[in-house]
Amino acid sequence: MAEERPGSWFGFGFCGFGQALGSGRGRQVLSPEPLRLPDAGTDICGVSAAWSYTAFVSRAGRVLLSGSAGGAADGCRDAWASETLLVVLRDGRGPGPGAELQAWAPGSALRGEPLWAQTVAPEAGREDGAGGGTRAGPLPLLPCARAYVSPRPPLYRPLAPELRARRLELGAEHALLLDEAGQVYSWGGGRHGQLGHGTLEAELAPRLLEALQGLRMAEVAAGGWHSVCVSEMGDIYIWGWNESGQLALPARGLAEDGQTVAGEATALKEDGSGVKGPAGTEEGAAAPFIAVQPFPALLDLPLGSDAVTASCGSRHTAVVTRTGELYTWGWGKYGQLGHQDTASWDRPRRVQYFVDKRLQVTAVRCGPWNTYVRAVEQS
Amino acid sequence: MAEDSNRDALAGPGALWEALRALLPRTKEELRLDLRASVEGSVVVLLQQAADLFYGGRRSECLQACEAVLDYSWEKLNTGLWQDVDKDWRRVYAFGCLLKAMCLCEAPGDSATVAAALRACDMGLLMGAAIFDDILIKVAAVLQAHLLPGKRPAQGPAPEQPRLKKARNGHVSIPDMRSEKAVPRLHCPSLQHFRKHYLIPQTPVILEGVADHWPCMKKWSLEYIQEIAGCRTVPVEVGSRYTDEEWSQRLMTVSEFISCYILNEPRDVGYLAQHQLFDQIPELKQDISIPDYCCLGDGEEEEITINAWFGPPGTVSPLHQDPQQNFLAQESEAVYPHDTHLLHNTSQVGPRGLAAPPPPPGGRTTLQPSSVLSLLRCDLPSGNCVVIPWAPSQEAVPKARKRPLATAGQPSCPPGAPASQLPAHCSLGRGLDVRLSMYIYFVHINVLVLFV
Repeated sequence: MAEERPGSWFGFGFCGFGQALGSGRGRQVLSPEPLRLPDAGTDICGVSAAWSYTAFVSRAGRVLLSGSAGGAADGCRDAWASETLLVVLRDGRGPGPGAELQAWAPGSALRGEPLWAQTVAPEAGREDGAGGGTRAGPLPLLPCARAYVSPRPPLYRPLAPELRARRLELGAEHALLLDEAGQVYSWGGGRHGQLGHGTLEAELAPRLLEALQGLRMAEVAAGGWHSVCVSEMGDIYIWGWNESGQLALPARGLAEDGQTVAGEATALKEDGSGVKGPAGTEEGAAAPFIAVQPFPALLDLPLGSDAVTASCGSRHTAVVTRTGELYTWGWGKYGQLGHQDTASWDRPRRVQYFVDKRLQVTAVRCGPWNTYVRAVEQS
Repeated sequence: MAEDSNRDALAGPGALWEALRALLPRTKEELRLDLRASVEGSVVVLLQQAADLFYGGRRSECLQACEAVLDYSWEKLNTGLWQDVDKDWRRVYAFGCLLKAMCLCEAPGDSATVAAALRACDMGLLMGAAIFDDILIKVAAVLQAHLLPGKRPAQGPAPEQPRLKKARNGHVSIPDMRSEKAVPRLHCPSLQHFRKHYLIPQTPVILEGVADHWPCMKKWSLEYIQEIAGCRTVPVEVGSRYTDEEWSQRLMTVSEFISCYILNEPRDVGYLAQHQLFDQIPELKQDISIPDYCCLGDGEEEEITINAWFGPPGTVSPLHQDPQQNFLAQESEAVYPHDTHLLHNTSQVGPRGLAAPPPPPGGRTTLQPSSVLSLLRCDLPSGNCVVIPWAPSQEAVPKARKRPLATAGQPSCPPGAPASQLPAHCSLGRGLDVRLSMYIYFVHINVLVLFV
C-alpha cells in the first residue's frame, strides 16, 4: 500500500457504517469528497477498505480503522481489511528488520492479542524501509512473496517459489497473481469467467493466463467476480462477470433499466463524459449483451488514454490514466462510481470532479462498494 | 403503534397494512434471526438496525438498510456453489425481502407499489430460505389477495382470452425410442405390485387414472393459473436451446410469461424454468396431491420435491433438451470427462453447447432422464403419469442443486455455469438410493408436474 508521492485522499460510495468517506453523513456519497479523519493532518499512504470499515495507514506507520471497526495502532507498515479479518504487517517486536504478520478480528480495535501472528523474514536484497521502497507487493501478498493471507482459513497460504509473485489480489472466489516477468496467473472458482482461461471451470492451482502470455503486465486488480490487468504499455485487459457492466461491455440488466449505453456511441462525447442520448445506433444493430467474458478482452478508454493503475470493487472498476484522470464503470447503486448519481454504467466514464478541481489522480483503491482516490494539485 | 391509526383513514390500503402488520411480531425483539457465526457481525448489526428502524416507523431509512442487506447477502448467494451457500445467508436475504415488502406497503400506495412488494416477497421465496414460519408465503398471500384482477397494474401486453388447446394425443415427431420395449400401461396398480414389478427392477411404466380425482384436472386452465398466480414473479428461461445466442434467464410475472411466451404466437421460445413453483405458490399446490407411489422410494416423504414445468405449445419437456444432460455433466464434472465447448469470441453469451457426457467408465448404465424424453413422446393423454424409477449411477453427484436467478438486475447467464444462475431446484437422487421420479403431464396447458 505504500506510495511515493504525497497527496490528498478522496472518497465516494457506500459509507453505511460511518466509515470515513468524505463528510460521513448519510449512507452513501455520490461524488468525491475530501477525506476527513479524526487525526487531522495525517499523511495517508495507504487505504484498504472492507465492506463495513476501512483501514488507513499513515506514512508514520499508524493504522487507523474507521466504520464498524474502530481503533488505531502504531508500528504498522501495511494493512489489509476484509470483513472477517484485519491483517496488519507490523514492525517486529524483537530486534532486527523482521516484521510480524498479525491477523485481528476487526472488532478487537487492535487491542489485546491478535487471533494469529507470524514472524515474516524480509526478502533478502530488497529495500524494506518502513513506509516506502519497492518490495514484493502489498498485502495480501507477504513481503517474502512466498505466501499470501486469505480471509478464510487456512489464513496463511504458501505460494510456489517459482511463481516469483510481485502482486496478488483476491476476489470473492478467485485469486490473481502478477509475477516478476509481468505474467498473470489465476486460480479459484471460475463460474463467472473470472479466471480468464476461456472456460467456466475452477482451477485449484495458479494457472498462467495464456491469452496474455508475452504481454508484460504492470498491475492486476480483482473485483468480486471480475479481473482487470494493466499492461506496461497502458492497455487494459478485463474479464469475468459483467452483470452490472463492470467489464465495460453491454450489460442486459442495465438495458432493461434503461441505463445501458450500448449502441449510443454517437450520443456521448469522446472523453466518455456527457449525457446519455436516446438509444440509437450507427450500424443499426445493437451490440449483443455479454453476461460473462471468460477470457481477457482489450478495453479502450475514451480518447485512447493509457492506463497506469486499476482497482476493482465487488461489481465496479476504476482506472487511472497516465494523464491523471479517473475512469469508473460498473455498479453504481451506492455512488461508488463518483458520477453524482446512482446509475450503473457499462462503459468507462470519467469522474469529472477531478477535472473540474484541476486535480491529478495518482492512485485508486476500491472497497467492495466504495472508492478511495488520491490526487495531487495539477502542476 | 401510533402510525397505524393514521392509515385507517383509507379503508383499502389501511386494511392491507393492518393485515401485513398482524403477521409480524409485536416487538422488534421478537423479529430476530438466530444466525451462526458465518454471518458477519456487521451484518447482524445492520439487520438489527433495519428492525429498529421498521418498528420505529422510519420507513425510508429502513428501506435503505434493507437494500444494503439484500445487496450484501446477494453477493454471498452468488459466491461459490449454490449447494455450499450457507443457509443463514439465504435467511438474511429473506429477512431483507420481508422488511422491504413491509416498508413498501406501509404508506398507502397504488397497485404498482403493492406489486413491487409482492415481487420482493417472490425474490425472497426464490432465493431465500424460510424464516419466521414461512412468513413470506403469508405476506405474499395477503398481497396477492389485495391485488384483485381489476387492480393489477398493467404489465406489458394485456393477456388475451386464452383459447384452450385441445388435448394433444399426438406427438410432434417420433424419435428413436431408447427403450426397446413399449412402455406398459397400468390403471392404478396396487403399491405392492408397482413396487415389485416396476420400482425395484427400475422399469418405467405409465400409470393411468392416478390424477383423476385431483382438483387440478378440473380447475387448471391458463385463465385459472393467471388468476391464482398471475402477479407472482417467476424465473423464465428464454430461448429454446442453451446453444442460442439469445438464451437467457429473466424474472417476470406469470401473467407476463403467459402473454409473451404461451399465447399470442410467441416469437421466442420461453418456458418457466424448473423451480419449486408449488412451494412458492401454495395455492396451486392445493390442486395436486403427491401420489402414494412416490412414497415408495427410499427418501423421506418430506424430501419429495415437486417441480413444475410450464412451456409453450409445440415443446414438450425440458427433459428433452440438452440442458438436463449438461446439468448432469457439469455437476458431475469431477468424474465425467466431458467436452466443454469454449467460447470463441467476445460476443458470445454462453457456451455453444455442451456435449452429453459419455457413460461413466465401468459404471452401471441406469435409466437417465434422457430416456424419459422418448417415453414422454409416446401417446400420453392429459393427466396420466409416467413413472421412472431410477437410481442415478454410482458416480452421479449426490445433491446437484441449481441456484435460482440471481437478482432483480436479472443478469443473463451461460448455461455452463449451472450453480450460479440456473433456477431449478432439482434434487437428484442420493447415491444409490432408489429414487422415484414421477412426471404428470397436462397436455392441454402444457404443464408438467414432476415429483422427484
